[in-house]
Amino acid sequence: MKKTLIAATVALLATGFAHATTEADVENTFNPYKGGFPKVNGLNPGTVINKANADQFKDAIPAGVFKLVKDGMFEIKVGPTTQFELSKAYIEATRKNLGKAKLGAKNGDLEGYVAGRPFPEEPDAKDPRAGEKLAWNYKYGVNWGDGAAISPFYWKYRNMQTGQVEKTIKFNFHFLNFKHRVKDAPVPEVTPNPSELFRAIYVKALDPQDLKNTQLLIQRYEDDQKLDDAYLYLGFQRRVRRLATGQTTDAFLGSDLMIEDFEGYNGRISDMKWTYKGTKNVILPMWNHNELKLATDMPAEADGYKYVDFGGQGGCFHSASWQLRKVYVLEAAPVNANHPVSKRVFYMDAQLGNLNGANEIYDRKGELWKVFMVGKSHPDSHLPINKGSGIGIDDAFSMVDVQSKHCTTGQFKGQVDPKLNPPSMFQVQYMRGGD
Amino acid sequence: MRNRPSRKVPVLSLTALAVAAAMPAFAQENLPDMGSSSEPWQVDTYYENHTAFRGRDNTGKVVGLSKFRNTMQVEADKKLSSGWVFHSVLRGSWDGVYRMNKGQYGEDAGGSIGAQSTLGGTLADVPWGSTSPAGPLGYSAVAGLGYPGSANNKFMDAYPNNPNEGLRVLGDRWHNVNGGVAFATPVRPCNVDRRGCTDFGGYGDKNTTELEFPEFNSRLDFIREAYVKNSLDIGGGQELFLKLGKQQVVWGRTDLFRVLDVINPVDYSRNNIYDELQDIRIPMWIAQAEWRMGASETMQDRNLQLIWNFDQFRANNLGQCGTANVALDAGCFFRGMRTLWDYGGTVSNFANVGPDTYLATNFGPGQIGLANVNLPKWSLANTQIGGKFEGVTMGGLNFSLNALHYRSQLPSLHGGKRATNSFTGQYQNAWPYLISFDMEFPRVNLLGGSMDFQSEALGAAFRFEGAMTWGEEFANTNREQLYSKNRVWRSVIGVDRPTFVSWINPNRTTLFSAQLFWQHIFDHERENGGVGERGIPDFKDNFIGTLLMKGFLAGDRISPQLIIARDFRSRTHAIAPALEWSTTDKLKFTFGANFKGGSNGGNSFDDCRSCNPFAPYTAGTYPGDPMTAYSRGLSGMEPLGRFRAGPIGAAIREDEIFLTMRYKF
Repeated sequence: MKKTLIAATVALLATGFAHATTEADVENTFNPYKGGFPKVNGLNPGTVINKANADQFKDAIPAGVFKLVKDGMFEIKVGPTTQFELSKAYIEATRKNLGKAKLGAKNGDLEGYVAGRPFPEEPDAKDPRAGEKLAWNYKYGVNWGDGAAISPFYWKYRNMQTGQVEKTIKFNFHFLNFKHRVKDAPVPEVTPNPSELFRAIYVKALDPQDLKNTQLLIQRYEDDQKLDDAYLYLGFQRRVRRLATGQTTDAFLGSDLMIEDFEGYNGRISDMKWTYKGTKNVILPMWNHNELKLATDMPAEADGYKYVDFGGQGGCFHSASWQLRKVYVLEAAPVNANHPVSKRVFYMDAQLGNLNGANEIYDRKGELWKVFMVGKSHPDSHLPINKGSGIGIDDAFSMVDVQSKHCTTGQFKGQVDPKLNPPSMFQVQYMRGGD
Repeated sequence: MRNRPSRKVPVLSLTALAVAAAMPAFAQENLPDMGSSSEPWQVDTYYENHTAFRGRDNTGKVVGLSKFRNTMQVEADKKLSSGWVFHSVLRGSWDGVYRMNKGQYGEDAGGSIGAQSTLGGTLADVPWGSTSPAGPLGYSAVAGLGYPGSANNKFMDAYPNNPNEGLRVLGDRWHNVNGGVAFATPVRPCNVDRRGCTDFGGYGDKNTTELEFPEFNSRLDFIREAYVKNSLDIGGGQELFLKLGKQQVVWGRTDLFRVLDVINPVDYSRNNIYDELQDIRIPMWIAQAEWRMGASETMQDRNLQLIWNFDQFRANNLGQCGTANVALDAGCFFRGMRTLWDYGGTVSNFANVGPDTYLATNFGPGQIGLANVNLPKWSLANTQIGGKFEGVTMGGLNFSLNALHYRSQLPSLHGGKRATNSFTGQYQNAWPYLISFDMEFPRVNLLGGSMDFQSEALGAAFRFEGAMTWGEEFANTNREQLYSKNRVWRSVIGVDRPTFVSWINPNRTTLFSAQLFWQHIFDHERENGGVGERGIPDFKDNFIGTLLMKGFLAGDRISPQLIIARDFRSRTHAIAPALEWSTTDKLKFTFGANFKGGSNGGNSFDDCRSCNPFAPYTAGTYPGDPMTAYSRGLSGMEPLGRFRAGPIGAAIREDEIFLTMRYKF
């Protein structure tokens, strides 16, 4: 009885803050710059932020990034703020399903969601569950769309102090949304889907020798309370191995990324206590890929594609421009007291709804542990296949462990091409056909 | 006897036949274009050196270098037309141990040996192969007994064609004779010493060059894999996956144990049980078709796989006697038995001529031993077929149901065969309970299944695998032919738990993986024969536990691991620590060891000395009707103790350290 009362009170609270979303909310959430791009005094396209002048722009720099710059690890070149229009299909789905999504009684419960951005309204600081709503906006965000591939995807483990590249892994990553699809057939769902899978990620490692032909499949359920299913095909074992997915804080293949870090946050919403900390204008790594000076030390691609270059201390930082963006500052504190992270701070891009622009990860003592920066390219300035996709293309990442002075960098070749991600690829059996 | 039929032509023609048979349902445009694709070859080339060193064996001598294997491996892939992909792995290796440690494994291996008699309970060393002074029973001594026909006895006073050189006492590497049966086994490569050299199923008759270059043989083992594969869209979101060619087909969810993973035979001669299975499975020419049905309204995934292993039968390679890795020491048992059949030889502690007195005995040829090896020849009826349904339930439970009709990859010895009565010279086509054997590879049917799931509460993944077989054969001294067919249940429960161990790596989990293997033999026979137990030497219920702990350091470039395996019934164990170090993406070192322990003290079993096959001459002082052949159960470690000791117990004196260097060009 007592539990029922508490649940009812929580639900009432949630309902109390559920104001009626309007068409104007949709306009605003997908085009936050209708009234003009944000401005910060002295911070203009062409400005280079370094340890000497960082203090001047402190309020416009995510705290973790600010520390890196102040420590002289890298310099930031500022570019113009640009529109990252999302796909019309996603916007239309948001409009069509306006007001249908409601938070359930418990953290991690969502009711009535169909497709599009679940909570397009501006977050309200007075709403105790505003952070949770933003988390749902991320989970059901555009991210990689209905399906996409990063093929190939190079990860480099780097010693930040010596610049030594200790390990290079060549992957192919594939993503598929089983549900809430808005653009690519089948819409709205891949059927049949009796397990109610929401999304799946398939990964194949091509290099180096000890990882060759290793495959990973992660299946995420629509029910946020349910743990992911994951399977590993080890090339040297020639068979699929079931994984226990509870240890999401495991360093993925020894890199500086936990499994939980993928795409900004790769875990259950119910695993965190989400707090909306306010709205700001800060710089995020976002650019036009084709306008960058690209890397010349990477393997050649048959289509002439070139990867984002890296520089700064230890080669840990993408050499590309940042731009001033409207962001929602979101804090996530693990529910599990034994979690190695005390909190994560996200600077959620208000337009794209992604979480991975400039994250801070704090250790159990509350000290800054890692800074995760994923740079995005406008799709129209990338591979031809991505043009018009309405997806911010993840283009390069840098995960810097400020405590151990180590980093992992990633160079993407993102391809929003449904043909690369057939649903059969996201079944366990697909892995068994491997070499 | 030689039993190595030529098979090159049948395999190649059958490959074509299999491809043709699998394809008629598909349009011509679905066939791969092997030559005109513009996609480049993807080629990776590796060099590996594996050097191993062994300490003292049971004789007290340091074995020394046990492996100096140098391997080149080329993995080549090419995308063909219409979605077909070609994959190949070519491997060639040269093992220098036969030249670098020729005293153990090469032309100088072995030497002259002695035999043993038990005199009133006291063990006594006697010469091997002669009758004087005070040597084993031979022709003259038996003839001197004066029974009718004794002059026709076929015992030997000497072996002019079977010299006492290049020999070892069977099992001397891992146990003492200790009053049991013992006989000689030649150990030199077959170009140096042909005695006992027979193809036991891909091993047993190899000369030095063939041992040095194991992949270059008539079965073209240097082609580790060569297959084409494709997934063909058959509509409705379903696919037909085809994989045709020389390949490994892996079933099951278990590490180390082969419960369902029995489609490809295994080459234990490479590194006993200590290599990854992918490196020691013997690829076969197989056609594999898989109907990938995808999800249904009630299951998340459904797949039906059919496999046809149309290659000529191959047995597990248990290792040629005289080489470093002889699993169960079986290759030495076979070679020694074959030598006994061909040449005769001294058998220690055999003739029970008085209480607690067992004299070494000089058998002649054609009396006891291993006469014929009947390797299945290629025929349509001898090909092997299997099917598997693999699915995922709505709740995420993975499972498979498996069925396989195949040939046992382990040999079965059928005894009680033809022989000449040592005491009278009488030849008969069958002598019940006589240790005159032929080697067979029986047909086996398997039904099994597997499943896995994860537990959030325990943070672990669980694996189950089980299979029942019909048709397997076991040594059984309770039967006239010294074997019986028994149904067998094998199963493994495994649990994998990634766990943070802060003193190893606070940010990276250490993998703990534990497994328990259970084997149950149905209709198991074991009873007291008067002197001791007789029946099936294998335990009715056997349990083996394994524990793997694998840590990761320095960005997974350094990985310490420890494997512990305990054979609970044989009471032996293996401990295998190893450290992998990838110095660069191209160069990797592995330094490790394996140490065995425990005791084979309880693993002796009925050796059929008391079987009385040549009644009444072999009745001795054993209880029971002296005119009836059956086992009274007198036991020793040879030859059946190896089935109780298992692969760990039979290698209990093979502690080894090794260093492996692998470089990718």
